[in-house]
Amino acid sequence: MSAGRLAFDAFALVAVVFAGLMVAGKDPIKSVLALVVSFFALAATYVMVLSPFIAGLQVIVYAGAILVLFLFVIMLLNVGREKPDGSRRPIQTVLGSLSVVVFATLLLGMLRGSGARLPPQAEAVGPEQLPDPAAIARLLFSDYLLHFEAVSVLLLAALVGAFVLARREEAP
Amino acid sequence: MIGTIPLSDVLLASGALFSIGIAGALLRRNAIQIFLSIELMMNAANLALLGYGAALGTHQGQIIVFFVIAIAAAEASVGLAIFVALFRHTETIDVNKINLLKW
Repeated sequence: MSAGRLAFDAFALVAVVFAGLMVAGKDPIKSVLALVVSFFALAATYVMVLSPFIAGLQVIVYAGAILVLFLFVIMLLNVGREKPDGSRRPIQTVLGSLSVVVFATLLLGMLRGSGARLPPQAEAVGPEQLPDPAAIARLLFSDYLLHFEAVSVLLLAALVGAFVLARREEAP
Repeated sequence: MIGTIPLSDVLLASGALFSIGIAGALLRRNAIQIFLSIELMMNAANLALLGYGAALGTHQGQIIVFFVIAIAAAEASVGLAIFVALFRHTETIDVNKINLLKW
């Protein structure tokens, strides 16, 4: 077992454990903080699968910007813990848990089977393919230039949409 | 360098994270926690994309994940704006109490 595999498994385990804490926690603030830890561990696993550029984006955009936005909104709305006030029916829990078990079994079975259709040299993330962020930039600004510009229009639309949605209604 | 990582490990981690995310989306009632679970599922899919991309020796996986992250940022800002507007109208973000569109 190589050192790289050991480190990947350790970071993946941290990500999974804190994701579990995020789902299990009743307090939304603690959930967000657990997810921050999980996303940092995920960024480390991204480095292990030879994607340091995406790992940087993950830390800056996800753990930095998006989750801080979540914290802002939770504190702005003063969302508290979930209270057991009887609005939840037991059938929801039973059917939800059942769906999760069925879905997880199917998904893990499918991922296990997917290796058979790959070329044999693709069974592992190899040691000597060096990561090269410059190649990504070259691809992004040549083959994917149209998509890149489309994303900038999408971000502008989201900006306008968020502004319109969250604006306070003025009295006519 | 650091030696190889089998692709099955990457896929197992991705599948576990996605399953945890779907558990959160189905079992929680707080809209914020459901939204966080959806973000987690997106990250699980990103991990699988990066794993396949690295194993096949191509940059396509990283390009797709780049666009996924950009769109996730847009989606998070609009989604949270919807929660703010919703909270202003109904004073709650408990999805069991929001039933305006229920027959």
